[in-house]
Amino acid sequence: MLPEIRHGQSGYQALVRLVGATKTCIFEDIDIDMGATAWFDADMCAALGAILYRLGESLNTVRLTNIRPGVENILLKNGFLSHYGREKIPDRWGTTIPYRRFDAKDDRFFADYIENELIHRSEMPAMSSGLLKKFRESIFEIFSNAVLHSHSKLGIFSCGQFFPKRDRLDFSVADLGVGMCQNIKDNTGLDLSPEAAIAWATEGRNTTKRGPVPGGLGLKLLVEFIDLNGGCIQIVSDAGYWRREKGKTLTASLVHAFPGTVVTVEINTADTNSYKLTSELSAADIF
Amino acid sequence: MQKDVTISIFEVVGSPLCVASSDGQKIYERLAAALKEDRSVTLSFHNVSTLTSAFLNAAVGQLYGEFSEEQIRSLLKVQDMQPDDMALLKRVVETAKQYFKDPQKFDQAVQDTLGDENDGE
Repeated sequence: MLPEIRHGQSGYQALVRLVGATKTCIFEDIDIDMGATAWFDADMCAALGAILYRLGESLNTVRLTNIRPGVENILLKNGFLSHYGREKIPDRWGTTIPYRRFDAKDDRFFADYIENELIHRSEMPAMSSGLLKKFRESIFEIFSNAVLHSHSKLGIFSCGQFFPKRDRLDFSVADLGVGMCQNIKDNTGLDLSPEAAIAWATEGRNTTKRGPVPGGLGLKLLVEFIDLNGGCIQIVSDAGYWRREKGKTLTASLVHAFPGTVVTVEINTADTNSYKLTSELSAADIF
Repeated sequence: MQKDVTISIFEVVGSPLCVASSDGQKIYERLAAALKEDRSVTLSFHNVSTLTSAFLNAAVGQLYGEFSEEQIRSLLKVQDMQPDDMALLKRVVETAKQYFKDPQKFDQAVQDTLGDENDGE
């Protein structure tokens, strides 16, 4: 029985409970009763989709049953239920950003998806060109991070939703990779708790990158942007939960591990910051 | 006198969206080949709309592992860049310099965290 899935810690707790309950399932028929799911924040489809995809990899047959009409409507509109034998229905108000799964090599497809389903949609709220550029860069930083760090063989999952009345846009990217905690341990030897691992990855010059290509900027840029924008960012990796909003950070431990990493951003689409630099940088000063 | 080389990112990547590390690698290979021959290179960002740190780390940051700051400063130029993209490239360059020049400091960050962990025990 899946409860309400809200974009936040409680929603993630509910999803990792599903991971815990199905951990040992192989070749089984798994019916997920959504009769009690009175609300489902659409961007959470990325995390749920990743969990269900992994169950499919273990040759389980997953069915979503007793879906309430309101929730069903959203999950049909964003194409999530198309993965479970249903037909997509038109999104009359155009507020969904479809659920998709990508392979790590699909960066071009992902870029097209973002351009077509997010940036160039007529239903998108009017955002300043500076905000739109930063937003677009942030989404690509999240995807690049998943590609570079997760070593996910099962793919990368994304979904979003925007809320015109609240001036908010939610977007999530989930991967089924090694998770930050293990990645940090493998590359630096640091043995951190899952939530401390997320905090570590977002701070200072910390990076797990080794070898010829430097790294360690993507998540910091993302956090800086969200702080300026007045939005919110949440990261779930392994059993760690990390949230940053209004410059304040909260970490918590989840009851079970998510089998990878999810990054969720909530963007304030009414942000009027110009994102223009106050001091001009000369091309001659870069190197 | 040797001819300067201009590398158009748009031409190499084939898209205004320069976001993937693998695309950055293509740029790096061309830049490195030119710098190895002591050629002056202009990297053109004309028609590029979106950049990520992952792309720039692979394309430009990586150069600092193979060439000196002096070599890069004297041979590499950028053109047609938006000011905010320049700021991003500058941060990538600063991070790369620290990453290669001062690996101990990167390791120090790890050690500091280990210290904090141990203190907490």
